[in-house]
Amino acid sequence: MSLVELLVLIFTFNLMTFGNGPGMVPLLQENLVDERRVLSVDQLLYAFTIARVTPGQANLYVAAVGYMLFGFTGAVLSLLVIILPAYLMLPLLRGYQLLQATHAVRGFTRGLTSTSVGLIIAATIQMGDRALTVPIAWVVFLVTLALTYLLKWNPILSLIVASGLGLLLTLVTQ
Amino acid sequence: MERTEQIQRLSYYHLFIIFIKAGLAFGGGLGILAVLEDELVTRRKLIAREEFLTTYSLGRIVPSGTMTALAVAFGYRFGGLFGSLVALVALVLPAFVMTVALTIAYAFLRDGPLFTLLPVTILPAALAFIVAAALRLGKDLMRPSLDLLLAVSALSGALFLDINPAILLLAGGAIGIVAFWNADAGAKP
Repeated sequence: MSLVELLVLIFTFNLMTFGNGPGMVPLLQENLVDERRVLSVDQLLYAFTIARVTPGQANLYVAAVGYMLFGFTGAVLSLLVIILPAYLMLPLLRGYQLLQATHAVRGFTRGLTSTSVGLIIAATIQMGDRALTVPIAWVVFLVTLALTYLLKWNPILSLIVASGLGLLLTLVTQ
Repeated sequence: MERTEQIQRLSYYHLFIIFIKAGLAFGGGLGILAVLEDELVTRRKLIAREEFLTTYSLGRIVPSGTMTALAVAFGYRFGGLFGSLVALVALVLPAFVMTVALTIAYAFLRDGPLFTLLPVTILPAALAFIVAAALRLGKDLMRPSLDLLLAVSALSGALFLDINPAILLLAGGAIGIVAFWNADAGAKP
């Protein structure tokens, strides 16, 4: 796979999901992990973790994917292709009266969001099948979910606590 | 109080500072939004709340992520084309630097003895983050509705019928246009 191919993919996926970071996961998983096999499930998961523990917009983790496949150039260019569509904002601000279009876009994004939720869950089931192979992994998974979703802990803290627990359990059981 | 529609400009330095602050905010889009609201509306009073919100809702339409769209919009408004560039770079710089640093760390981890620990530490946690993101996105779907039906169909289509997610997304969007055409404009898109 060439750098240009990767950039075209990322550009397209980003447009399709309206820049939604988690929404891109199923698309990247299907294309880069399953079909082309240039990225492992572990790599994709790691890239997504980065998105959760670094500040900033949630779709910027594609820079990690770019870096894994094509080094620094890949990272910079992947970032560029996802942020440049932001310039559509300028004509949009000028043509604010395009209410018809807004109507369609609203419906489109709402349909897209609902579909995305189903797809993200499907992707996690597929990846979980490969990533959660030992009981300790399940423990870490469930603890993180409880901390970050139910107790609304900050992602970094959840990650440290849950990973620490996994580390501890591994050391104890060895 | 009347607000005169007068275009104020910000120095590139201030634009850079405001947006790098926003870029350092945790919590994804909403965290960034909070910083921008505080800086531009509450503290500096550069822009009326209503205009801020209008720009925000337009930003949601732009397929690049709402916050980069806001950086372009406000950067342009307060500093012209170059201003938009300054704001955009400042916004993504912190995340980019950290992302690359952590990816380099991964390459090291991978070759080291710690690699065997990744599957029982960071990776399952990452999976949980993705599930949490899906749950948050789908918070409004958890009642009988067309939205829920779309989500469930997409889930089964991808999982059992192995339909390409890209096709499902486009189909979901297309159904959305027709089905939600007359939906309440206030509903979350």
